[in-house]
Amino acid sequence: MRPSHILLIILLFFFFVDTSLFIHSQQLKEELRSDEKIQKIAVAGLGLTDLCVATEARYTRHPAVSDPMAPFMDHPGALEHFPTGSFWAVKANKETR
Amino acid sequence: MAMIPKGLEKQFNILDFSLSSLWRRKLKNLGIMLVFALVIFLLGSFQMLTGALSNSAESVLENTPEITIQKMSAGRQEAIPLAYKEKLRSLYGIRAIIPRVWGYYFDGSNLANYTIMALESDSMPSGNKLNLTLSHGHFPKTTEPDTAVIGRSVHDILGLGERRIFSLFKPDLSLKSFEMVGLFDQGTDLLTNDLIIMNLADARELFAIPETMVTDLCVYVANPVEIETIAKKIAALLPDTRVLTKSQIQKTYQVVFSWRSGFASICLLTALIAFAILAWDKASGLSPDERREIGILKILGWETADILAVRFWESTLVSTFAFIIGCTAAYIHVAFFDASLLKPVMIGWSVIHPSFKLLPSVTLADLMLIFSFSVMPYLGATVIPAWRCSTVPPDSAIR
Repeated sequence: MRPSHILLIILLFFFFVDTSLFIHSQQLKEELRSDEKIQKIAVAGLGLTDLCVATEARYTRHPAVSDPMAPFMDHPGALEHFPTGSFWAVKANKETR
Repeated sequence: MAMIPKGLEKQFNILDFSLSSLWRRKLKNLGIMLVFALVIFLLGSFQMLTGALSNSAESVLENTPEITIQKMSAGRQEAIPLAYKEKLRSLYGIRAIIPRVWGYYFDGSNLANYTIMALESDSMPSGNKLNLTLSHGHFPKTTEPDTAVIGRSVHDILGLGERRIFSLFKPDLSLKSFEMVGLFDQGTDLLTNDLIIMNLADARELFAIPETMVTDLCVYVANPVEIETIAKKIAALLPDTRVLTKSQIQKTYQVVFSWRSGFASICLLTALIAFAILAWDKASGLSPDERREIGILKILGWETADILAVRFWESTLVSTFAFIIGCTAAYIHVAFFDASLLKPVMIGWSVIHPSFKLLPSVTLADLMLIFSFSVMPYLGATVIPAWRCSTVPPDSAIR
C-alpha cells in the first residue's frame, strides 16, 4: 500500500468523524430550539437582562446592567480580583455612566 | 495508475516521498503536530464557547426590557424612589412602567450567591405564560405571601430534596421562611439557575427596602422605534439616573466575550509566541542532515521546484492535520464535555455551576481566522528556508 493511500484512509476517517459531528450539531440545534421558546418567555416575563453563567461577582452575573467601574468599587484603589474578571471583557459602552 | 495524468502522478510520487520523509522523523513531526494541535484546540475551544454564549444571548435576550432605569449616587447604583414613576407620567409614548426589586443574597453556609427578584409579573410581556417556564408549580401570587419559585441549582445547593420550606436571613439576621411553590425547568437553566422569584412585599422585607423604594424601573414604550428618543427624555428628566436601553443590553454580549478579555488575550499571545518560536526555529536554517538530504536529491537530478514541493507537502500535512485535529477536539470539548477545561476560568469561584447545553459556534470566519493564524505562518516558516537551501549548489550542501 502506498503511503498516500494510508493518508487517504486517515483523511476519510476525519471526514467521517467531522460529518458525524455536523449531524450532531444539527440535532442539538433542533433540541435547543424548544428550550429557546421557554427561555424567551422567562426573559420577557421577568425582564431578565443577562445569562446566568458566573455568579461570583455582580459584574459578571449581570454585566449588562452593571457599571464598568463596578469591579473596582470595593474600596478606594481596589483592584479587580475575581477569576472570572479575566474571562469577561469590560463592555465598551461609553453611553452609560 | 495508468489513467492518472503525468503531472498528477508526479505529485503523488512527491506526496509519497514526503510522507516517507515525515515518517522517518516521526517523533519530531508528531511532537510538532500535537503541540500545534493543542494551541489550535485552545483557540478553537475559546472561540466556539464564547460564540455559543453570544449566540444564545442574542437570540434569547431579544425580549429584555426596552428601557431600564437605575438610580445612581456617588457612582454606585442604589434604590430608586417609586415617586420617579409619577415624574415619568408627563412623557408621551410610555406604555408601562414596572417597578422591580432585585438583588443578591449571599448564602454564607454554602458560599453561594443567589439572585433574588420580585415584580408584578402579570403586568410584564408574556407574564401570563410564565408558568410554562416551570417544571412544576406556579409563580407566587400576590395573595400568597412567603412563597417563591427557585432555580434548579438553588434547589440543589439548599439541599431541599422533597422539602418545600427554606429560610433566608434578613439584614437583622432574623430568619424569613419561604415555601417553594415552583421550580424552574431545566431548559431555562442558562437564565434562571440562581434565581429566587418572590412577591414584592417579601423581597422588600428580606432586603429591608422601604415601601417607597424599588431597585429599578422597567419601561415599555408604545412604539419600539422611539426607544432611544424616550430614553434620552427620561435621562433629561431624571438626571440622577442611568438609563439603559434594550440595544445597549443586547450589545453587551457581543463584546463581553472577545479577544480583549484577559484570558483570551493570554490564549492568543500564547499561540502567537508558540508560532513565533516555531517560525524562528525553522527560519534560522535547516539541520545539517536536512541540507545533506537536499544536496543528495539535487545530485540525483531533482529540481529546486521538486524539493520545494516536498517541503510544501510536508508542512501542509503537518499543519493541516494539526488544524483538523485541533478543531475537531475543540468541538468535542465544548459540545460533549461542557468546555470543562475553560469552565473553571469562566465561572471562577462561583458555587453555582451551570450545566451548559450549548451549540458550539463554528463559523467559516472563525475557522479562517484560526487557519490563517496557524497553517499560513507554518507554511511560510518551512518553505522559505527550504527554498534558500535548495538554491545552494549541491556539492557545497553535502560537503
